[in-house]
Amino acid sequence: MTPDATVGATKVSAREASRARAIRRFKWSIRIPMILLFGLVLTPVLFLQLYFSFHEWSVYLGSWWEADFVGLDLFREVFTDPRFGWAIVRSLGFATASTIGCFVIGFALAYLMYEPFRGNAIYYGIFILPMLTVPIVVAYTAEMMLYQSGPVNDVVSRVLGIDFRPAWLTHPHLAMPTVTLLEIWNWTPFSFIIMLAGLSAIPREPVEAAQILGASRWRIFWEVQLPLLRPVIFLALMLRFLEAMAEFPKTWALFQGGPGSATETVPVYIFLTTWQYFQISKGAALSYVAMMLMVVIVLLAIHLLRREKRALETMYGDKPGEAA
Amino acid sequence: MTKSRSRRITTIVRYFVLTVWAFIAFFPIYWMISTSFKVDTQWFAWPPYYFPDPPTLSNYLNVWFGAQEYTETQYAISSQTPLISLRNSIVIATTATLLSVVFGAVIAYGVSRYKILSEARMFQLLMLRMIPPIVIVAPLSLYYAMIGLLDTMTGLILIYFITSLPYAVWMTKSFIDEVPREVEQAAEILGASRWRTIFEVVLPLVRSGLVATFLFILILTWSEYLLALILSKTNVSTLPVELSKYQGTTEGKVYGRQAALSVGITVPLMIIGFLIRKHLARGFSFGMVRR
Repeated sequence: MTPDATVGATKVSAREASRARAIRRFKWSIRIPMILLFGLVLTPVLFLQLYFSFHEWSVYLGSWWEADFVGLDLFREVFTDPRFGWAIVRSLGFATASTIGCFVIGFALAYLMYEPFRGNAIYYGIFILPMLTVPIVVAYTAEMMLYQSGPVNDVVSRVLGIDFRPAWLTHPHLAMPTVTLLEIWNWTPFSFIIMLAGLSAIPREPVEAAQILGASRWRIFWEVQLPLLRPVIFLALMLRFLEAMAEFPKTWALFQGGPGSATETVPVYIFLTTWQYFQISKGAALSYVAMMLMVVIVLLAIHLLRREKRALETMYGDKPGEAA
Repeated sequence: MTKSRSRRITTIVRYFVLTVWAFIAFFPIYWMISTSFKVDTQWFAWPPYYFPDPPTLSNYLNVWFGAQEYTETQYAISSQTPLISLRNSIVIATTATLLSVVFGAVIAYGVSRYKILSEARMFQLLMLRMIPPIVIVAPLSLYYAMIGLLDTMTGLILIYFITSLPYAVWMTKSFIDEVPREVEQAAEILGASRWRTIFEVVLPLVRSGLVATFLFILILTWSEYLLALILSKTNVSTLPVELSKYQGTTEGKVYGRQAALSVGITVPLMIIGFLIRKHLARGFSFGMVRR
């Protein structure tokens, strides 16, 4: 090796090293503000929540930092509280029912629309509207329409020719179904849009091959399209379920947990405990338990989501890993 | 012969089903709009009035401008607060959204090109969005009270910024992933710094994607209710919170006024949604489904 080449090599490696340093600096210049942002806001919040879960404090009892340490008492109270148990059951039921409702309708609409036809754009434009109405607006508009002699009952009565007059807003057994129907109305567009995108992204070849082999539309749907759609279906169901678990504005604005305790979902019950009964500590313990429950659900969902995301990437023909 | 007939039946069934759902989807929106033009005797009538007869603007004038002289009824709750809430909503939603899109795009670039976050970290970021806000809102309001951010615009902007960041990162990343790396390499060879490459080369290339992300997140921040309700008391109220005030009035149900306010809150979103209708799938699926 001539001395000249050695000099050249060190020059190159020096340039490489400085480039690597620059990249490292660049990476940290993005990471640090991110860490600061989350660290300064979320960490104290989580700490406070933990503090209140172990200290009995209510607004009438002086400063919060002088509250009594009560150990696990609050959690014992939460776990033996039948109202909370029912709230969890209600939330799960509501989320499941509305997720299925949104999905079935959304998928049916998407299936009818993924091949171009006349008027396609108009229907699409109308179908996405419910999603663009603010949840609180949905609640108040529902109230304007669902009183017993209101337009909804009137239209259904006229169309079906029967006397249809359920008390959507006042009957305890109808309250939760009403919220569920509103949620379905509000968020069907979400499932519709995702399923439409999924259906349009299916590669044409397998479907065409099945057609040439003489498969019926029904069999093509069940045996070709549905398996290819699995990741997208999973995504649509999961995201919807998680959002429905968190639903608060509609339930609260329409019912505030009533009639009786018919619409006390987990978010509503936490809200009532904290801001209506002013049991801050119990509210914090409730929140903590609810958060842990959600973390478990979300972790499970994310685990499955990552698996399905890989399947999606293969479907869209991305190189796995590149887009990860 | 039979084939063309079955096709015709399919077409008829398709249009029938789609039209029925279009009616269901549109009717409540129609009802909101038509109620906003009705006089008070028709808000809550039996049989219901399907068309405002005669249409009146008094609901709008009363709600948005507090013009008492335009009211034909005794119901008059409003001062001009909806206009102030409108201003608050615009300032809060656009600032928070802008911050999260710009920062989100920078993070997304880092993830896309330099893997500053592993895939696991990216999903942890998503978790932030998936945990319901109700579980942290109480300690958050106390923390805000301690550091003086309760009932301020900054406080709301900050929390909206944080909660919409996951969406911003995921959605912009799906656009940035599509930019060929050759462009940046060319810029680098020409001596541009990494930051200049991001802001002057990469981001302009995904302009339409950024606009879509911006509008998408704007929809979410504009309609947020729970955080706005708890973190604002009197100084700062956003439109959804303002609307909910009409519920507890002692004057009884003032549906026409509510509807006039609702139309004002909803119409901007519908326009935005229409503008980004092609990108909605990408947004709602965190960029996982493309169209």
